[in-house]
Amino acid sequence: MSNSSKRWVHRFIWVTAVVFVLAAPWPGGRLLAHAWDTEDCQGCHADLSILEDGGGYLYVDSARYERTAHAEVGCPSCHESVNEDHPDDGVRPSRAKCGECHDEVEAEYTESIHADNATCTDCHNPHEVKPVGQVSGAQMNRPCMECHEEDDVVASHEAWLSQTTRHIRALPCITCHTGSKVYVVTFYVGTFEERAGRSPRVALATHEELMAKAERSEGVTSVIDRDADGRVSVEELRLFYREGRAEGLQLWGMMTPEVATHNYATMDNRWDCSFCHASGPGVVQKSFVALPGPTGDYTRIPVEPGAVLDALYGTPDFYMIGATRSKTMSLIGLLIVAAGLMVPLVHGTLRLLTIRKRREH
Amino acid sequence: MNEKIYLTPTPVRIWHWLNAFGIITLVLTGAEIRFPEYAQVLGNYKAAVRLHDTAGIVVTLSFGLWFIYYAFVARNLLRLYIPSREDIQRGMIRQAVFYGYQYFRGGPNPHHQTPENKFNALQKTAYAAIMFVCIPLVIVTGVLMMNVSSLREMVMAVGGLRLLIGAHWLVACVFCAFLFTHIYLATLGHTPFAHFKPMWTGWEEAEDPSDRNT
Ligand code: HEC
Ligand code: HEC
Ligand code: HEC
Ligand code: HEC
Ligand code: HEC
Ligand code: HEC
Ligand code: HEC
Ligand code: HEM
Repeated sequence: MSNSSKRWVHRFIWVTAVVFVLAAPWPGGRLLAHAWDTEDCQGCHADLSILEDGGGYLYVDSARYERTAHAEVGCPSCHESVNEDHPDDGVRPSRAKCGECHDEVEAEYTESIHADNATCTDCHNPHEVKPVGQVSGAQMNRPCMECHEEDDVVASHEAWLSQTTRHIRALPCITCHTGSKVYVVTFYVGTFEERAGRSPRVALATHEELMAKAERSEGVTSVIDRDADGRVSVEELRLFYREGRAEGLQLWGMMTPEVATHNYATMDNRWDCSFCHASGPGVVQKSFVALPGPTGDYTRIPVEPGAVLDALYGTPDFYMIGATRSKTMSLIGLLIVAAGLMVPLVHGTLRLLTIRKRREH
Repeated sequence: MNEKIYLTPTPVRIWHWLNAFGIITLVLTGAEIRFPEYAQVLGNYKAAVRLHDTAGIVVTLSFGLWFIYYAFVARNLLRLYIPSREDIQRGMIRQAVFYGYQYFRGGPNPHHQTPENKFNALQKTAYAAIMFVCIPLVIVTGVLMMNVSSLREMVMAVGGLRLLIGAHWLVACVFCAFLFTHIYLATLGHTPFAHFKPMWTGWEEAEDPSDRNT
C-alpha cells in the first residue's frame, strides 16, 4: 500500500469512528462494543499468542465456536462491556447470563434439586455449546464426571442396578437423570486395542483416526455408509462389523436422549428396568451411527428405518436384553413349546378315552 | 410279589430335583426377561434377572454333580444314557409303538427296568439329548451372556451375541417342551405317581417289573 492510500484509510477510519460516536444513542457503550465484531475479538482471542497473556482460559477456538449456535449471537452480545480500550482498560468484561436467552431452561433448572450444585457454565462452555444430538455420550458425561467420580457413581448405583459398569458405559447419566420423552440408540465408532490377558481397551475413535481408515475423498462417513446414500443399512452395519474388526474398529452403542431437559429429578421409572428393557416402539424409537467431525462434534447418520431392531439384534456391541429379541426366533421357539404341549394333550385325551379298554386287560 | 429295587441313588435324586426346580425357575424368569411386557411372573425385572442368574448357577453346579456321579462314581453314564445298537434298530420303534398304540390297548411295556438298564430306548435318546447337548449348550451360552464384556472375544469366536441369544432361547424352549412331555410320561406308571416316588425315595416298588412305562 502506498503512503497516500494509507493516509486515506486512516482518514476513513477516523471519520467513520466520529460518525459512529455522534450517532450513538445513549447508552453509548453498548454500540461501541458492537463496533467490534466477532472477527475483531478473535483477532486476539483465537490467536495462540493470547496464551502468553493470561493462559488457556482466554483462548477461544475459532473452528469450534463457528460451528455453535452461539456463533450467530456474536461475542459482543454476551460481553457487552468490552470497548475499544479493551484489554487495557482494566475492566473485567461482562458476561451475559444464560437465562437472558434461555429463560425456559433456566426456570426448569432453578427449580431442580441440582440448582445449588452447579451453574450453567459448570457444565457448558458457552463457546462450544452443542445440541444434544451432536455430542457423544462420553461428552454428555464429561461435565458430570468433573464433580461425580465414576467409581462413586458405580458404587452408589450398584446397590440396585445389575451389570452396573456395563450400564454406565451404555447410558449417559442424563438418560436417567433428565426427562426426555424420546430416546434413540446411537452407535459410536470405537477403537479397540488388544491387551494381553485382559479385555481390550475401547475408546471413542477420533476424527483423525477414522479419516486414516476412510476413503479420504468421501470423508469420514464412508467408513460405514459405503454407498454414501446418507443411510446406514443393516447390511452396511454387518459389513462394518466384519471388516472393522480387522482394522481395530468396533461399534459402541448407547441409549441417548433426543432432548436434554434440566430437571435432574431421579425419574421414578428409571428404577423400573422394563422402562428400557421392553420391546417394540417403546421409548427407543430410532437408531443412528454418529461420527466425529474435525472439531469434535458428531454427525448422525440414520440407520435404515424399520430395520432398527434388526440392527440392534445384529450387533454384539449393544445388547439390551428384552428390547433386542428377534420375532422369528420367538415364533420358532413358541412352536417348539406348542409341540411339547401336544404330547400330554393328545396322548392324555386318548388315555382318558381308552380307560375302560385298558382296565379290561 | 412286592419286589423293591434301588433305582435312583441319592446324588442322582439331589441333582434331579435341584435341576427340576432350577429349570422351571429359569423358564419362568426367562420368559419375563425376554417378554417383559407380557410375562410378569415376578412383576419385577430386576428380581427376574437376579433369580435367573442364580438358577442358572444352581443348574450348572447340579449338572456337575450329575456328571461326576455317573461318570466317576457309578461309572455307568454311557451305558445308561447312550442308546445301544439294539435300541436303535428295534427298541425305539418297539417303544414308540407301545406309547402310541399298545398302551391304549392295555398292552405290557416292552422295556424291563434294572438299575443297569433304567431307561427304554426313547428315554435314553431324549435324556441323552437333554443331558449331553441341551444342558451344556444352555450353560455355555448363559455363562457367555452373563459376561459379555469380559468374555467378548469368546462371544465373537462362537459367532456373536445374536447366535448366543438365539441358541439360548431355542434350547430354553426345548426344555419347556421336554418338561411337558417328561412330566406327562412319568404319570404312565401303574399308578400315576408310581414313578415319582422312586425319584424321591430312590426305591422302586415294582409290583410287576414289566409295568414301567415312562
Ligand atoms: C487486542 C487484542 C484483544 C482484542 C481485540 C480483544 N481482546 Fe479480550 N482480552 C485480551 C487480553 C490480552 C485479555 C486479558 C486481559 C487481562 O487478563 O487483564 C482479554 C480479556 C478478555 C476477557 C475476560 C477475561 C477475564 O479475565 O475474565 C473477555 C471476556 C474478553 N477479553 C472478551 C473479548 C471480546 C468479546 C472481544 C471482542 C469484542 C475482545 N475480547 C477483544 C485481548 C483482546
Ligand atoms: C452466548 C454468550 C457468549 C458468547 C456468544 C461468547 N461468550 Fe465469551 N463468555 C461467556 C460467558 C458466560 C463466559 C464466562 C464463562 C465462565 O464463567 O466460565 C465467557 C467467558 C469468556 C472469556 C474468559 C474466559 C473465562 O473463563 O472467563 C473470554 C476470553 C471470552 N468469553 C471471549 C469470547 C469471545 C472472543 C467470543 C466470540 C468469539 C465470546 N466470548 C462469545 C459467554 C459468551
Ligand atoms: C444472547 C443470547 C444467548 C445467551 C446469552 C446464551 N445463549 Fe445459548 N443459545 C442462543 C441461541 C440463539 C441458541 C440457538 C438454539 C436455540 O434457539 O436454543 C443457543 C443454543 C444453546 C445451546 C444448544 C446448542 C444448539 O446448537 O442448539 C446451548 C447448550 C446453549 N445455548 C447454552 C448456553 C449457555 C450455557 C449460556 C450461558 C453461558 C447461553 N447459552 C447463553 C442464545 C444465547
Ligand atoms: C449439571 C450439568 C448441566 C447444567 C448445570 C446445565 N446443563 Fe445444559 N446440558 C447439560 C447436558 C449434559 C446437555 C446435553 C449435552 C449437550 O447438549 O451439551 C445439556 C444441554 C443443554 C442445551 C441443549 C438442549 C438440547 O436439547 O439440545 C441447552 C440449551 C442447555 N443445556 C442450556 C443450559 C442452561 C441455560 C443452563 C443453566 C440454566 C444449563 N444448561 C445448565 C448439562 C447441564
Ligand atoms: C459442579 C459440580 C457438579 C457437576 C458438574 C454435576 N454435579 Fe451433580 N451434584 C453435585 C453436588 C455437589 C451434588 C450433591 C451431593 C451429591 O449428591 O453428590 C450433586 C448431586 C447430584 C444428584 C443427586 C441429586 C439428589 O439430591 O438426589 C444427581 C442425580 C446428579 N448430581 C447428577 C448429575 C449429572 C447427571 C451431572 C452431569 C450432567 C452432574 N450431576 C453434574 C455437583 C455437580
Ligand atoms: C440406569 C439409570 C441411571 C444411570 C445411567 C445413572 N443413574 Fe444416577 N441414579 C439413578 C437412580 C434411579 C438413582 C436414585 C437411586 C437412589 O436414590 O439410591 C440415582 C442416583 C444418583 C445420585 C444420587 C445418589 C447417590 O447415592 O449418589 C447421583 C449423584 C447420581 N445418580 C449420579 C449419576 C451420574 C453422575 C451418572 C452418570 C455417570 C448416573 N447417575 C447414571 C439412575 C441412573
Ligand atoms: C435407562 C435404560 C435402562 C434401565 C433403566 C435398565 N437398563 Fe439394563 N441395559 C440397558 C442398556 C442400554 C443395555 C445394553 C448395554 C450394552 O450392551 O452395552 C442394558 C443391558 C442390560 C443387561 C445385559 C448386560 C449383559 O452384558 O449381559 C442386563 C442383565 C440388564 N441390562 C439388566 C437390567 C436390570 C436388572 C435393570 C433394572 C434394575 C436394568 N437393566 C435397567 C438399559 C437400561
Ligand atoms: C417338575 C419337573 C420334573 C418332574 C416332575 C420330573 C420327574 C421325573 C421322574 C418321575 C423321573 C423318573 C422317571 C424314570 O425313572 O424314568 C425323572 C427322571 C429324569 N428326569 Fe425328570 N422331572 C422333572 C424335570 C426334569 C428336568 C427339567 C430335566 C432335565 C432338563 C429332567 C431330566 C430327567 C432325567 C435325565 C431323568 C433320568 C434320571 C436318572 O435316573 O438318571 N427332569 N424325572
